Parts: sequence; structure tokens; C-alpha cells
Amino acid sequence: MPGRLGRPRIQAARSTDGGARSVLLWQVSVGVLLLSGWETVGHGGSGEWTSRPSLIAVLLEQWFAGPIYPHIAATLIEVMVGLVLGVVFGTVAGLLLGRSPLLSVVLRPIIVAFYSVPLIALAPLFIMFFGLDLLPKIILVAIVVFFLLFFNTFAGATEVDKDLLASVELMGSTPRENFQKVVAPACMAWIIGGIKIALPYALVAATTGEMLAARRGLGFLLSDAASQFNMTGLYAALFILMLLGLAVSEISVRVERYLLRWRHATG
Amino acid sequence: MPQDEALMAATRLAATEAEKIRLSGVGKSFTARGGAFEALSPIDLGIRQGEFVALVGPSGCGKSTILNMVAGLLRPSAGIVFYDGRPVNAVNRAVGYMTQKDTLLPWRSAADNVRIALELKCRAVPRQEADTQVRQMIELVGLAGFERHFPAELSGGMRKRVALARTLIYEPETLLMDEPFGALDAQLKLLLLDQLQQLTMLRRMTVLFVTHDLGEAITLADRVVVFSARPGRIRAIREIALPRPRDVFKVRFTEAFAHLHEALWDELKDEVVKGTDV
Repeated sequence: MPGRLGRPRIQAARSTDGGARSVLLWQVSVGVLLLSGWETVGHGGSGEWTSRPSLIAVLLEQWFAGPIYPHIAATLIEVMVGLVLGVVFGTVAGLLLGRSPLLSVVLRPIIVAFYSVPLIALAPLFIMFFGLDLLPKIILVAIVVFFLLFFNTFAGATEVDKDLLASVELMGSTPRENFQKVVAPACMAWIIGGIKIALPYALVAATTGEMLAARRGLGFLLSDAASQFNMTGLYAALFILMLLGLAVSEISVRVERYLLRWRHATG
Repeated sequence: MPQDEALMAATRLAATEAEKIRLSGVGKSFTARGGAFEALSPIDLGIRQGEFVALVGPSGCGKSTILNMVAGLLRPSAGIVFYDGRPVNAVNRAVGYMTQKDTLLPWRSAADNVRIALELKCRAVPRQEADTQVRQMIELVGLAGFERHFPAELSGGMRKRVALARTLIYEPETLLMDEPFGALDAQLKLLLLDQLQQLTMLRRMTVLFVTHDLGEAITLADRVVVFSARPGRIRAIREIALPRPRDVFKVRFTEAFAHLHEALWDELKDEVVKGTDV
């Protein structure tokens, strides 16, 4: 099915194939220009602040020979576990409050009040409570994700099309079936949208937590390098974070396109 | 509400055993942009068990409002809607309602939309049997090959047919249909009219059918009710005494049909003109 749905898009891409190739050429040229400019500046007087792409590449090679993996794993675990917790609780809370006016009236202002606290500012608190291991970062990620998922799911649950609900109710559905067959799938688009927004925030929360206090993780690498004035290490860590961020957003786009294929379908 | 109770008692007496739907003094006004306007003047209308009644009239004369009230989705502003002698004051689960607006579930494929009524606990048709029924129904409405398409991938007419199949598959005792064949081409429309006639006769379904196509109304209905322009009132009711089963392909070329069409059109045309003035 994805093939069939994808066909118009592929044809469109093919018709501008030459255009796409020249865009790629430009992108590579700009990249090469920036990197060689950086390299040149690095050889000059301010080399200790700017480092050089060649030094960064050597360091990255050393890291990827082994020592980097525990750090990447730490950050990924924090993001994943925090994400799962935040998505589960945020979605459930959003659905409950979105479909129950009473709960919504009582609890929503409280949740909004908590949301007004800058969440990253909670990191020191969690570090005090839960120490230097992964747990405080997981909780920080979970909380950030929770709020994003809660508000998105809540909006989805309150905006379920009443006519769709009525059409299924007329067939004799129970309230439970209304939820399973209409409310939950209707909220799916909002939930997935929420996850897509939450992913980069989860990465930010995990790294920030690690920068404040940690023994492992990409954020730890970053603050560790900075404290030793190791500019090459700093840039190398940033580079890995960039790759991770790109991978995360690319995966989320693909997952969304699959799960919401009924939406992308063209009529 | 002593008045309502008196009205209810009176209407219960008046209603005969075989009456399926009774609108007694039913009117509806809406408020829009701060002002109230009357969509439907109070009307009285009874529909017998197994009867096929077509409602025709200019747009905005409250025909859809009547269906919504029979389905229990709208409360009348005046009067009471009775179903099986009981006032309708909640969603009426005895009716199958094919609304004018497309209410297919967009995340379900065509086949899964048709299947939904069979999945519900109140019916719980075994999976294999449901598969067979869905396949037959999809074929009946001419959508074989489009089972896996999502509603967004189907044309307006195809979506109408999915909605029709979804409503017919669980054979509700009463069908409410709001311009079900509006967006279809003439050939397919006739085929589906034929299927609808067969099915409703076989199952002795009661049908309340809103259409703007007078020919369609005469072809199918036992009675045609002509409404005036807004606020809707009943302008004329005509029995369609053509014998059943009717040949939907040929009946429109008979003399009896032509007379009925002419008579009904005389009633309707003034109202259509009035309706478009607004």
C-alpha cells in the first residue's frame, strides 16, 4: 500500500530529478566551503578556541573505536525510557480529562500551573533526590514529554467529531466501544503529533540533565570537555548530538507517515 | 410539562398499532447569529411499519432536521417524536441513519468501515461470517477492488456507497436516508435504487428517505411528502399506488409515473422558486 500511495510523490520527484541533483551539488559545495574556511581559521591565531575539522574528525574516529558507546547508550536510554513513561502517562491523562468534563475542570488548572514552572529548572531538584545515575534524567525527560503529550491528547479528545460518534452510537455501540472505535483512533493523529514534537525536547532534557550532573552521557561529555577547555571534544560531542537529533527527527517523520497513512492518502 | 403530557396521551390514543414513527406537532427552530429562525413549522406525520416515505422539498425546509429528530440526535423545539409509540429522547438505536454529511471513519479502510456495525458487542458477528457479509455488501454497491482504500482515497460517490453499505449491512428495522444517491451517476443510481427496493421489501424495513430528485421519490416510495420552503410545512402528501416490486429501470417511462411526476412537480415548483429567493 505505501507504494501505491507514494506513487504521485515519486513521480513528482522524478520530474524535478535534475533540480534535486543541482540542489545537492550546492549543498555539498557550501558544506565544503564552510569546513575549509573553518580549517583555515583554525590554523590561524585563534586555533585554541575554534579547533579544526581535521582534529575533530580524528577525535571522533578515536571515540567511535569504543569509548563513545556507553555515553550514547546512556543518553538514548534516558530518552527512550523517559519518552515511554511520558507518552503513557500524558496520553492517559489527556484522554481522561479530555473526555470527562468534571475531571478536566478540577485537574486541568493544576496541570497548567505545574507546566508554568520552567521544566529544565527542575533538574537540580531531581539530581538532589535521585543522585547522579540515569534516573533523574529519565524523570526529567518523562515530565517534559508528559506535558506535551497531555496537551496534545487533550485537544484531540475534546475535538472528536460528534457526528462520527453519533454514527457509531446509532449502530448500538456502548460507551466503551465509542472510545475504542472512535475516540482513541481519532486522538491517534494528535498523539503522534505530540510525540513528534516531544522527541527533540526529550533529547534536550536528557542532555541538559547530564550537563548538570552525570557520570555518562553526551551531555556529560559536553560539560566535561568544556570544563577542561577541550574545544575539539566539545565540537565532537556537539556533532554526535546533531547526528542523534537528525536521526530522531527522521525516524519520527517515517513512523508518522506510516501510522497516519490514511491522512496522507490523496483522494 | 403538563401540556406535553396531555399531548402525549392524546397522540398515543390516536396512534395505531402498526405506526412506527409519529411526529406530533413537531417543530424546530434554531438560533444563529443571535436571532432565532424557524426551520420547521409544527407538523404532524405518521409512518406505518414497513412503509417507504420520501420527503421532498427545497433546500433548507427542515427535511434533514426531521431525520435528525427521529434519530434522536436533535430535540424538537415543539411537539414530540414517537418511535414505536414511545417518545424519542435519546439516540434511537433502532434506526440506521445515512446522513448527508460523510461520517465514515477516516482511519478505516472502506471494508473496515462497512464492517464496523458487525464488530459491536450488541451484534458480535463471528469474524468469518462478517468477512463474507462485508464482501457481499461491497460487491452489492459496486466497490469490489476498493476494499483497502481509505475514505480520503475515494471519490464522493464512492464514499456515499461505502456509507450505504455500512448502513444496510446490519439491516436496521428502520432506515433514515438523507440524499443517499445525490452524488452518483445515473446508471449506478438505478442499480442501487433497485437493490434498496429489494432489500427493504424483503426485510419489511420502514424507510424515511430525503431526496431532491422527484423521480427517485416516486420510483421508491409508498408516499411522497412535499414540503414548502422555509419554514418547512407539509404542502402535499401523495400516495404512490404503483404496484410493487417496481421495475426501477422502466417505471419512469409509464403513464402513471408521468402523471404523478407532473402533479407533484406542480406542488413543488412554487416552493423551489421561493426557496431559491432566500
